[in-house]
Amino acid sequence: MANQVMEYASGNEAAALAVRQIGYEVMGYYPITPSTQIAEGLDTMKAAGQTDLVMIPAEGEHSAAGICYGASVGGGRVFNATSANGLLYALEQLPVQAGTRYPMVMNVVCRTVSGPLSIKGDHSDLMFALNCGWVILYAHSVQQVYDFNIIALRLAEQVRLPVIVAYDGFFTSHQKKRCYRFEEDAVVREFIGEKKEPYPFFDFEHPITVGAYMNEPDLINNRYQLHQAMEQAALELPKLYEEYGSLSDRTYQAWDSYCSEDAEYLLVLLGSSYDTALEAVDRLREQGVKAGAVTLHVIRPFPEKELYEVCRHAKRILVADRQDSYGGGGGNFSLEVRAALQKYHAGAEVYNIVYGLGGADFSVEDAERMFELIQKAGQPDLGYYGIEAGKGGETLPLFEPLTRERTVLEGRKTLNATAQMPSRLAPGHGACPGCGIPVNLKLLLRGIEDPVVLLFQTGCGMIVTTPYPRTSFKVPYVHNLFQNGAATLSGLAELFYYKQKKGEFPEGDIVFIMVSGDGGMDIGMGSALGTAIRGHRLLLFEYDNGGYMNTGYQLSYSTPRGARSSTSHVGKDQYGKTFFHKDMPQLMAAAGVPYVATVAESNPADFIKRAVKAAGYAKEYGTAYVKAISACPLNWNDKPDKERSVIEAAVNCNYFPLYEVENGKTNLVYNPEEANKKIPVSEWLGMMGRTKHLLKDEYEELRKEIQAEVDRRFARLLAKSEHEFL
Amino acid sequence: MEQVKLPLVDESGYYEIRLESIGGLGANLCGKMLGELGLRYLGLNSASFSSYGSEKTGTPVKAYIRYCDAAKEIRVHAPVVSPHILAIFHGALLGKGEVLRGCTEQTKIILNTDLSPEEAAEKYGISCGELLCLSAQAIAMESKSRINVVMLGAVGKAMGFVQLEQLESICRDTLGRKYPDALPGNLEGIRRGYEELGEAFRTNADNTDRNTMKKKESSDMQKLGYETAPPGGIIPWAGNSVLADVSPSRQGYIPVFRPEKCINCAMCDSTCPDMVFQFQKGTYKGKEMMVNKGLDYYHCKGCLRCVAICPTQALVPALEKDYPDKPYFMPNQDLIRMPDGYEKTGANGYVTSESFLTEKRINGGEM
Repeated sequence: MANQVMEYASGNEAAALAVRQIGYEVMGYYPITPSTQIAEGLDTMKAAGQTDLVMIPAEGEHSAAGICYGASVGGGRVFNATSANGLLYALEQLPVQAGTRYPMVMNVVCRTVSGPLSIKGDHSDLMFALNCGWVILYAHSVQQVYDFNIIALRLAEQVRLPVIVAYDGFFTSHQKKRCYRFEEDAVVREFIGEKKEPYPFFDFEHPITVGAYMNEPDLINNRYQLHQAMEQAALELPKLYEEYGSLSDRTYQAWDSYCSEDAEYLLVLLGSSYDTALEAVDRLREQGVKAGAVTLHVIRPFPEKELYEVCRHAKRILVADRQDSYGGGGGNFSLEVRAALQKYHAGAEVYNIVYGLGGADFSVEDAERMFELIQKAGQPDLGYYGIEAGKGGETLPLFEPLTRERTVLEGRKTLNATAQMPSRLAPGHGACPGCGIPVNLKLLLRGIEDPVVLLFQTGCGMIVTTPYPRTSFKVPYVHNLFQNGAATLSGLAELFYYKQKKGEFPEGDIVFIMVSGDGGMDIGMGSALGTAIRGHRLLLFEYDNGGYMNTGYQLSYSTPRGARSSTSHVGKDQYGKTFFHKDMPQLMAAAGVPYVATVAESNPADFIKRAVKAAGYAKEYGTAYVKAISACPLNWNDKPDKERSVIEAAVNCNYFPLYEVENGKTNLVYNPEEANKKIPVSEWLGMMGRTKHLLKDEYEELRKEIQAEVDRRFARLLAKSEHEFL
Repeated sequence: MEQVKLPLVDESGYYEIRLESIGGLGANLCGKMLGELGLRYLGLNSASFSSYGSEKTGTPVKAYIRYCDAAKEIRVHAPVVSPHILAIFHGALLGKGEVLRGCTEQTKIILNTDLSPEEAAEKYGISCGELLCLSAQAIAMESKSRINVVMLGAVGKAMGFVQLEQLESICRDTLGRKYPDALPGNLEGIRRGYEELGEAFRTNADNTDRNTMKKKESSDMQKLGYETAPPGGIIPWAGNSVLADVSPSRQGYIPVFRPEKCINCAMCDSTCPDMVFQFQKGTYKGKEMMVNKGLDYYHCKGCLRCVAICPTQALVPALEKDYPDKPYFMPNQDLIRMPDGYEKTGANGYVTSESFLTEKRINGGEM
């Protein structure tokens, strides 16, 4: 047995630890709760010089999967981690990875699939991956997350299949527990062994083609090879468990069971709930009820024979699904358990029930209740557990509707006069004290007459305004996930224009506005540019706080270079974010939209003016794009009451220049130099905790580079403003 | 390592702690240290976690810690319902009945307050268990530490089987190597929390009625379920977030309005994230314009953006406790009917990832 060290770790920390010890080479990833901590943990280690893993933050999960595929084709040891709609967004790539037989490991930290958007845990994401040709291991404890990750890579390379290590979001990923790790990384590396590449890609003596196009009669043979590899995995796993057991003193099987030998009533469930059920089994056994519990550690290849063996003596079995295959008669897990037991002619009555969706807690009492349910005979499908019918009540309107007549302004659109515009947003939203998002929304909307329709992409602005059953919106509002908001608004607007033209809706303009953070403008960049190029009549509004703030401040493409974030730590081997902030207004301008503007709350009168102008273009001519720099006291790490001056500094140092591009013509709205307010970028960087470290001597070079890039971009703007064809 | 003896456990063998806090006070880190303490210094098995959601400042956060015999696996993942120790980081939380949920005669309640336990029990309607008070906020300020380490010391003391040195050790392990500068203050905070925790006061059931009254739901209240909720998660009640009273997000300060100095420039309205300022048509210096009539303190989170921007000091910062009746308090004027009541709340937010914030908070907000 090898030496081991006790750790107090969460599932995500255990995963990161395993990844470091294994010595992976490339991780392509896109942060998504609750899997994000894995990348954060690895980035922390990287900054401290504990790993040389190449970490590539993609602009979305689809690209992350592509990065991983490329690196694995090159023969690298490759890792990824995701959850929920992130897995679904990448799903299209999963069969590519498996079908061309490139091993890698991905952790799926299970979370509810949207919508409605939910960040908590169930198994609705993982079950989409059943048919992708990936081996799927399920860890129900922190210890298993560590152990299965090590076993996973060995297995992946042995049978040349990619492997998913799945575990419960939050219950396993975030709860800290006792676990043991090998003291020496060498033990882990020895267990996994050297990677052997049968057809090395970078062998120029023997060049290979990967990913040819294939129809009948060949494809079915290729698929049969995949099927065989899966069967091979089933044969290899017991051997690996045994070998791993001799190293760690922890020996696994494809399943785990408790008191199953003589159990009359068996509860079969996946993930952390299994542990909870064991407490219930103990209580029931004390009362003389022959209860037992079973879980699986492997879902692909599905261990049907083993499952049958362990369940064969039970009288009644209840399979609890944390997911539903709507209309399929239960969740995928229970359907497969039923099929396996039927295949081997088990005599037990099998029941199924759906529970714990959206992260609903599962207590010992819940497990006891489930045992009560199977002790009573009944319909085989027990439906849903933990639902409530609810109770009706009168809900009177709180506000006057914001009709066309009520959204008209008298007089000039000054700050004072626009205070008469009824707020489209109700107070009581949950933004942090001093948050810039509602400030920017109010400045955006206070001058815009006519009814507005709002679409928010996922992000802080969305989360804080619509925690069900509350909403801060007094106008029609829709959310879509942030890779797709602009496209959704295109459809919504075009339907309206169509119906209005046919006379089904009354005459009069409506302003269609998408609101997105800079995160949404990363993963949703394609959708936004596509919408801009198509030129729908709508307004795209971006509040840019320079990070994925809603999920704990991971870097975005708009994060300033050098800034500290939870995926760009500062340490001896890393100075923060490595690449420059994305210039989204210029990308939009290049898409040829009629109006682009940048605005800042430090110039409120100008902000209102640009917003009104943008709305005018959106009503009449095509897509308008407006971007505001938006304060985040929490993660900029400064004081809420100082935010306007921080933003003013961002404008005055030319990091965030105020300009518009109207029908291709650049117009500099404000030139700090002319206003005698020009400051160096370092002054602004020094105002925020996230960038303050850059003022140290050791970062002088970097500071110069940032200043040079800001100067270059501003000089180009100036040149453009002076020439109509630029 | 010798295993400490747990004084009492629940029917499954767990000793359980719940921390009730507000985002930004560091309960998550405190819970983590308590969890690791059990494993590394008390010879127990332990587990800990926080309530989960998106990251927001000033919103309720809970942390849970479970201890049990080292030979036993911790098989429960659900939140702590009936704690042996309940630590409340902020008095404002007690406006919500559920903070005291699951308290029994055996519960020791640790409350950060300047009040005596008798006064606090009376004021907040605490009617079960033993109440122990300390001025964690003041200690944190004096020791240049943070409330979470002071509460760590207090919880350690209240448990009765933890030595001060063990708490100091876990603090050194967690903070010492990475943040040596912050260590002396934090150790001081722990020590003072441990030593200055007040005597236990046995609360009595006389307060029960008030407590349950607060929690009472009006009988005609709507309850959403599969028969009553509109399908698809649609919310047909426009702007109903106005029913949330977000004042628990304030951390001691409010803006105070001095209308005689106001020039109605509306800069406050332009910088306020929370629609606090109630402008209405009126006259100022003989001119018809929008005039600031007052502040909606139900929705003010105390960020003081307005104070910083006001060109005439018509808005000044003040300690909230000095203004029990807020002058020029004007609820949202867009409402067409006064709500039956406001619910004290913050966002539905907490911790999904702590890497950036933990570092920031340990260093007192500056990195």
